[in-house]
Amino acid sequence: MHELSIASAIAERVLEFSETNPSRKVLGVRVLVGELSCIEPEQLSFCYTAIVKETVLENSVLEIERLEAEVLCPHCSYRGRPKFWEEALSDVAVATLQCPRCGKATEALQGHECIIRTIRYA
Amino acid sequence: MIQIEAAPDEIYDIELEHSLLEANAKLADENRALLDRHNATAIDFMGAIGSGKTTLITRLVEKLKDQIGLAVFNGDATTSSDVEQIARQGIPVVQIATVNGCHLDANLVGKACRKIDLHKIRLIFVENIGNLICPAEFPLGSKARVVVVSVTEGPYMVRKHPHMFLGAQIVVINKIDLAGAMEVSVEDLTRDVHTLKPDILVIPISCKTGAGLDEVASALRDA
Repeated sequence: MHELSIASAIAERVLEFSETNPSRKVLGVRVLVGELSCIEPEQLSFCYTAIVKETVLENSVLEIERLEAEVLCPHCSYRGRPKFWEEALSDVAVATLQCPRCGKATEALQGHECIIRTIRYA
Repeated sequence: MIQIEAAPDEIYDIELEHSLLEANAKLADENRALLDRHNATAIDFMGAIGSGKTTLITRLVEKLKDQIGLAVFNGDATTSSDVEQIARQGIPVVQIATVNGCHLDANLVGKACRKIDLHKIRLIFVENIGNLICPAEFPLGSKARVVVVSVTEGPYMVRKHPHMFLGAQIVVINKIDLAGAMEVSVEDLTRDVHTLKPDILVIPISCKTGAGLDEVASALRDA
């Protein structure tokens, strides 16, 4: 449940904004989560809602935007979407670091992010 | 940061671009720099509860303690039984109690680094909490990450926990002496690891028979 510590970090940063802008009401926060991170959006939302209960952030909404992964192959210079392992599990394709072009190991350029994009307030 | 002034009753967005994982990543870099200054290297071990992390570390300590300066940091939610097992080897051992935390973080590892005399240490084994998901998101400042899996965890454990393997350099497949009884193929597990990340070093071992342990010890010494 590392989503709990990430949700706490989000709430902490948003509360900081709220404290320096006491006349404003926070309506929501938009978070960007990379495709290669193992952060489960539904659990993150659940944890956020639980944490902000009975604070000034109560009823603010956590919106999660997914960021697609991008890889670079140092062997064949392929740059783009990773190779997906379709038959890994029955219901979801798994992103891999295998180059879709030459099959060697790629490096992730993006996809591990977890970023607070914006705070929406009135 | 761009701040926009809001008029009453209007809705505004403030742009932050604040990375939530950056604080930990920065501390991990600091840990790595601290260890580099002392010519020391950390290796962290991740894996499920019961995969054999503590036993593997104990075996590696037995093999390496007379050759190089070793220390062990043992992450455990509450108990100290694992620490006691390793401390009997007569090397510095720090227990990192995360209380209810499901993973180690760079801050805790940094504190542990400051508890021992790094001048005498070349290699630190860091044992993460038994968990195959959460530790993946939190680098600690180690030179290499090792995932310990065992055949007793079944045939699909690699593909079910892809994130753990994407960030690792070495995968140890433990308890291969039980592969036949478990009807789990070590070759299939190895293929799954390489499908996820072709350049991972996979070493099949048995802490019970000793198979593969020399190979792990030399891979870590050269990491």
